[in-house]
Amino acid sequence: MNTSSKILDVQGLSVDLLLGSGARRPVLRDVSLSIEENRVLGIIGESGSGKTVLSRALINWVARPLEITGGKILYRGEDLVTLPQRQMQALRGRKIAYIGSDPGSALDPTIPIGHQIVEKLKAVEPGISTADAARRVVRTLDAVRIPSAAQRFQEFPFQFSGGMMQRVMIVDALVTQPDLLVADNITQPLDVTVAAQILRLLKDLQRDFNTAILFVSSSLGTLHDIADEVLVLSAGQVVEHQPFEDLLSAPKHPYTANLISDLPKIWEADTRNTGASIADKISDSEVVLSVRDISRVYSTKDPTKLFGKQHVHAVRGVSFDVHKGDSLGIVGESGCGKSSLSRLLSLLELPNTGQILFKGKDIARLNARGQLDLRKRFQLLLQDPFNAIPPHFTIGRTIAEPLRIHGMAGSAIRPKVEQVMQEIGLSLDLHDKLPVGLSAGQRQRVNIARAMVLDPELLILDETLSALDQVEQTKLLALFEKLQRERGITLLYISHDLGMVRRVCNRVAVMYLGRVVELSDNQTTFFNPGHPYTRALLSAVPSIEARPYDPEKYLLEGEPPNPINIPPGCSFRTRCPFAIEKCATIDPVLTPRAGEAFAACHLAKIVEAA
Amino acid sequence: MLFALDFFMRRIAQGLIIVLLVALLIFTLLRVVPGDPVRIMLGPMVSPSVAEQTAKEMGLRDPVLVQFGRYVGQIAQGDFGRSFVRSAQGASTGGTRAADTFNAANRASVIGLIATAVPYSLLLAGLAFVFALALAVPIGIYAGLRSGKWPDRFALYLSSIFVSLPNIWLALVLIFLVSAKAGWLPAIGYKGFSYAILPAIVLAVELAPVFIRSIAVSVSGNLMEAYVSVGQIRGLSRSRMIVFHVFRNSLIPLLNTLGIQAVGVLLGSLFLIEYVFNFPGVGLLMINAVFQRDFPIIQAISILACVVLVVVNILVDFAATTIDRRLQY
Repeated sequence: MNTSSKILDVQGLSVDLLLGSGARRPVLRDVSLSIEENRVLGIIGESGSGKTVLSRALINWVARPLEITGGKILYRGEDLVTLPQRQMQALRGRKIAYIGSDPGSALDPTIPIGHQIVEKLKAVEPGISTADAARRVVRTLDAVRIPSAAQRFQEFPFQFSGGMMQRVMIVDALVTQPDLLVADNITQPLDVTVAAQILRLLKDLQRDFNTAILFVSSSLGTLHDIADEVLVLSAGQVVEHQPFEDLLSAPKHPYTANLISDLPKIWEADTRNTGASIADKISDSEVVLSVRDISRVYSTKDPTKLFGKQHVHAVRGVSFDVHKGDSLGIVGESGCGKSSLSRLLSLLELPNTGQILFKGKDIARLNARGQLDLRKRFQLLLQDPFNAIPPHFTIGRTIAEPLRIHGMAGSAIRPKVEQVMQEIGLSLDLHDKLPVGLSAGQRQRVNIARAMVLDPELLILDETLSALDQVEQTKLLALFEKLQRERGITLLYISHDLGMVRRVCNRVAVMYLGRVVELSDNQTTFFNPGHPYTRALLSAVPSIEARPYDPEKYLLEGEPPNPINIPPGCSFRTRCPFAIEKCATIDPVLTPRAGEAFAACHLAKIVEAA
Repeated sequence: MLFALDFFMRRIAQGLIIVLLVALLIFTLLRVVPGDPVRIMLGPMVSPSVAEQTAKEMGLRDPVLVQFGRYVGQIAQGDFGRSFVRSAQGASTGGTRAADTFNAANRASVIGLIATAVPYSLLLAGLAFVFALALAVPIGIYAGLRSGKWPDRFALYLSSIFVSLPNIWLALVLIFLVSAKAGWLPAIGYKGFSYAILPAIVLAVELAPVFIRSIAVSVSGNLMEAYVSVGQIRGLSRSRMIVFHVFRNSLIPLLNTLGIQAVGVLLGSLFLIEYVFNFPGVGLLMINAVFQRDFPIIQAISILACVVLVVVNILVDFAATTIDRRLQY
């Protein structure tokens, strides 16, 4: 390997975190890596392994309380650690670009994106005229397939969706044709289909722009799609560095081996670990929740008309039944109406039309007394475990709160709370402590305990586990499975994580633009879906396994249409690669395919036969 | 464009309602307080029957709401009435001239009195704003950029001192020291621009702390926004991020402070300070009108103050939405 092709060569880099009392804790220890032209180096590690510090150190963005204590970062032979600030500034943005995981806050919210990229271009390439810079920005916006680039050049960051904003940041990074791009977890906040689009785009661009990419991620499945070789980081040290395929087949370090074996398998035929095993015992049991053709419209101001209003169709005619003991997964991309649906189901809002029956009773018609009674049997768990717990109450008090509301006798409360805490896996020592300093997982357990203390019959989990890392997620899923087995409660998982849904749900509803487009059992959803959107979602799930759905064939371009102007006919047809004439005029309804499997697609039957 | 139209139509309609309610409140309160304006107009020597007749002729015995309706009708035509007390020649006639009847024609029109006073008040208020901003902008920015360090603390202490100085005391002390003892600046009345400086300083001292706090807080807040550090990674210098982005975004809270707090404070203090300095602006006119129970002037100035506050707020909010487009949604 000759040194000339090495763009970046890091030798023995160490970074310490300075703690308040003069003590220091190492964050990176003796990290060495190198990256050659046109290559993609993946870096993986769990949260806290030092990935982000490493990716920032590579562009010499290490500020107090972090401090580089040793090592060299050679960029084409020049040591960035000792480079004067001014020269570093010039190198950054021009030759070395960085994209972070939070595109929403990366630009000034009050200035159109195009102007900000032009500003950067003029700063790093002095002498370029504003008109030339603007032309180049529009051209690059086109290259990342942002529709109507010239018009979007003038728009503000808040007018872009997360995925589109990440494309904008890619434009910002690549507009100067850098040789090295550091991408720190850039797909993490995005929906699977959008993340897959971004990855595909980045691969294409890398070819066109001849950029070396350092791709940091916490998901091996994501790296699978892009990285040539992978470096595994654990507790600030490089534990392994191999080409991707070798890493999968022959991991050298036990840490890597664990990482690979712990990954949830989606396409594995073995159903021991999946919801499919519990699928048989249900379906004939009593219907707990029956949703009948509900819809919900929100009104917002219409900026194009004077005093105008426009209507956002968040939920459009959703129907399904949930049987006792079911685990129903509701999946879809952001904006598909999942969360609006959860608000309707948990009686936070009423549907504009349609009915929600809980054990045969219409929940919209209940009086205050009846509602209180219903809520006891019916609990909602949300995503953010931090804001959901009052900070000034002891944990015991927080968990006991629902019991007080529902009028339980004072003496009976404490034993009940302790019983539930034990069941959920919370140490009883926590009973009299404040929630300060609890981890996200522990907090989510407090949340779960607070719901479970009422012995509910139905739990709605609205992205409840999304904020937690892999390990904690696995533990809590096991807990829910246990609770379901022991108490026969019914679970409704609202999630964008198809891997999790594959593991724990016996039935899956796929939502698109406020409508359920497919409702099937686990096996059918994943192996014989009737709707092209389901296949698109499945093709986008990052995974290290061989995938039955080829992204080249099924992955969608673009984003869902605006729920204000829903196209007539099938609402999916604008993105559907298989759309036929009929789709433009006739809106397909959810029709049975076989047994419990339904799909809303004109081609569903044909697909099944093929 | 459409947004601007929608915005102004909405806000002006709201503003009209506010002004109308304030006018009604002032109007009613003035008629509830003791003291018959007819006595003030005609003087104590007039017989009760004549006074009663004049009052009836002027409609002062009608129900308050009827009087208010008539008043609003006149205002709609641009007629704010005539002073009860001041003659058209400018002198105050307060009843001593033993006139038998009240002849409105020889009294000064309210709109005319206000129109002569307004330029003086605008000069004073404008100068006060210039002084206050000249002091607050550098101190506030420096404090915001060095949040938690000594400039920040200095700004806080300075603001605390300024806030605790009673403006009337400061006015008297400055008149005594700067004008009477040292003779550097004139203080009483108005004969030229230099007469506005001392009262403007007093007002600026009152306004500056509000600005300093607002600027310091918004600058330090914006400095911590992610886009500032990301901008430096993107290849922009820190100073460019501060000058072109942080300052721009800090303008919105400052504008809001200007609109709501500053104009409110100013309207209140202007009356007092003009009176202390015998400065011939709207404030002095108002104070004298209150002493003389000159209802038409009091009402007109109150409505004017309310209109100014409403208009300034509409403009400030509109300016904020053009700086930060998110506010349009």
